Amino acid sequence: MSKTFMINRRTALGGAAALAAGTFTAGAARPAGAQDNKRIVIGTWGGDYSRLLTKNINTPLLAPAKWECVNAEENADPRKAKMMAERTLRRGTSDVQGFSANDMYDLNEQGLAEQLDYSKMPNAKNLIPAMKYPYGIGHIYSGKVVLYNPDMMEAPSGFADTLDPKHGNKLGIIDIQRQYNMVAAALASGGSVSNFEPGKDRLMACRKAGARIYPSNEAFAQALKTGEIACGIMWKARAVQWQNAGIKVQTVAPKEGVPMYVSGFVMPKNAPNKEGAYAWLDAMMAPSAQELFAVDMGYNPTVANAKVPDDVQKRIGFTPEEQKRLVDLDYAYMSKNDVAFQDWWNKSFKG
Amino acid sequence: MTDTAIAHGPVVEKRRGEGLTAAALLTPATVFVAIALLAPLVILFRYSLNEFVPARKMMVEAVTIANYIKFFTDPYYTTILWTTVRIAVLVTAVCLVLGFPLAYVVARTQSRFKNLLIISIVLPLFVGNSVRAAGWMVVFGNKGFVNASLMGLGLIGTPFEIMFTEKAVIIGIIAVNLPFMVLSLQSVIESIDRAVEEAAFSLGAPPLTMFRRVLWPLALPGVLAGTILCFILAMNAYATPFLLGGPLFKMMAPVIYNEFTQKTNWPFGGAIAFILMAVTLTLTIVANLVLQRRAAR
Repeated sequence: MSKTFMINRRTALGGAAALAAGTFTAGAARPAGAQDNKRIVIGTWGGDYSRLLTKNINTPLLAPAKWECVNAEENADPRKAKMMAERTLRRGTSDVQGFSANDMYDLNEQGLAEQLDYSKMPNAKNLIPAMKYPYGIGHIYSGKVVLYNPDMMEAPSGFADTLDPKHGNKLGIIDIQRQYNMVAAALASGGSVSNFEPGKDRLMACRKAGARIYPSNEAFAQALKTGEIACGIMWKARAVQWQNAGIKVQTVAPKEGVPMYVSGFVMPKNAPNKEGAYAWLDAMMAPSAQELFAVDMGYNPTVANAKVPDDVQKRIGFTPEEQKRLVDLDYAYMSKNDVAFQDWWNKSFKG
Repeated sequence: MTDTAIAHGPVVEKRRGEGLTAAALLTPATVFVAIALLAPLVILFRYSLNEFVPARKMMVEAVTIANYIKFFTDPYYTTILWTTVRIAVLVTAVCLVLGFPLAYVVARTQSRFKNLLIISIVLPLFVGNSVRAAGWMVVFGNKGFVNASLMGLGLIGTPFEIMFTEKAVIIGIIAVNLPFMVLSLQSVIESIDRAVEEAAFSLGAPPLTMFRRVLWPLALPGVLAGTILCFILAMNAYATPFLLGGPLFKMMAPVIYNEFTQKTNWPFGGAIAFILMAVTLTLTIVANLVLQRRAAR
């Protein structure tokens, strides 16, 4: 009886080992790329962004051509860390990755982004020149504006009028918008996109006066909704989204300048399906996809041939006067000083 | 001699067979632990000795303990470590105080609903930490359940600031850890014969003396297991302090995550991870030794 049991157990162990070995060798014999050459893995933020990528790009433009699109959802920082961790791999795990323009710059500086061949993307001929980076493509853009609740305060004139200790705890600051808060404070205090130092005292004064710090854009929106805060700084596109959600909020394009926010996509150097990545990036620039993103998400298109309805354009866009005040960021300056700014933000401002 | 060898032959063979079987059974788990736990730890430790170039956000190969020195010489980080230890000790103590009576009742009850009681204690573990923290966010918010109820009853005029404070984090971690404490204690208390408690009472011991002289020493293995579990979980808490503590409250695990993902400073992140591990292990071992020595007296 005992002997039979021993044999059975050994057989079971042996069987399990054989199964594991079989699975391993089968996996090795069929690398992912060989079986999935029609699969495109898109690294993206979750929530609306991912949903709208599927709705406006993946399903209508790529599925008919038999591309299988998979959205790998995560915030930007973990995806950056993952790209770094995969640096030494010959084949990475994603084909395109969505990041802000300064993150795209960072990744290129670290040698992780593929230099793009624009001749492989027919829609690129309509791309606004400012959105064409050698290492990535601007997908949507908006500007950093002042948000305020018209029931609680008069319209502020700009960043200096908003990032002001006089607002006490009615001023909200979003933690993850650290870089843009620092740009805004710099512009309000005589600094520039290449010099954040003058803005630090202003931010510290606001903090001492009781400014509330929120961990996320959504927490900030909730505080605006409940009247916990009356003003703050955010992208115009988000304000449009929140207006659509019934939150009482108005925007002002600051007189000191409107820092641009560009969200775009890069192709990792070790993307397993580069052909698919080019197909996806081309579809991303299709006018239909860009128009839908403007309507659904409130961001401006980055291609010249997208036709946004007038009423939408009026809400998401900027007047010719405001457009003159749009300022692009100094990505090299921000990248070089990012760690130092994070330290200041965490230790001094929030500390 | 030959006879003896022949006589012992099957026994030796049987033992060898058992040894081989044991080795075969141990190997998969050992290989898994070696690959999944030790290998990353070794790599992380090696990274923690590297240098970091902030301007380029690049890790440079080196062998230096600068990251460890930086941690212990910067009050920002030592304060976070102290906060983490303080919260972990407090949470463990509260869990012990709240958990012991509950575990005792569950262990001693003769009710036919005993299984239901145990399931209701285990039930919160079916939900992930972050989901539970999200639930607490609804409860603690300025217009959340607590404030809305108190304001609705007219007990307070302005909402309590609970969300994004240390209080919220402590309550959140206690809620996560309490089932671990109760289950550890309940299983040990259940194994203590009720007759020893009755013997103490029959000899005239008041309830507190019975607890101090009989129940507590006998339940000590459960207390140790529960406090170790609770303390380690609290020291390494990530989701709860991140979601309920907000941007201004800091504990070690979120700081480690921040170093890795936001600053891409893997060497320093690795060093903090090892410091957290070392402090947790040291405090756990020291507390155990102290408790065991006291119990032995």
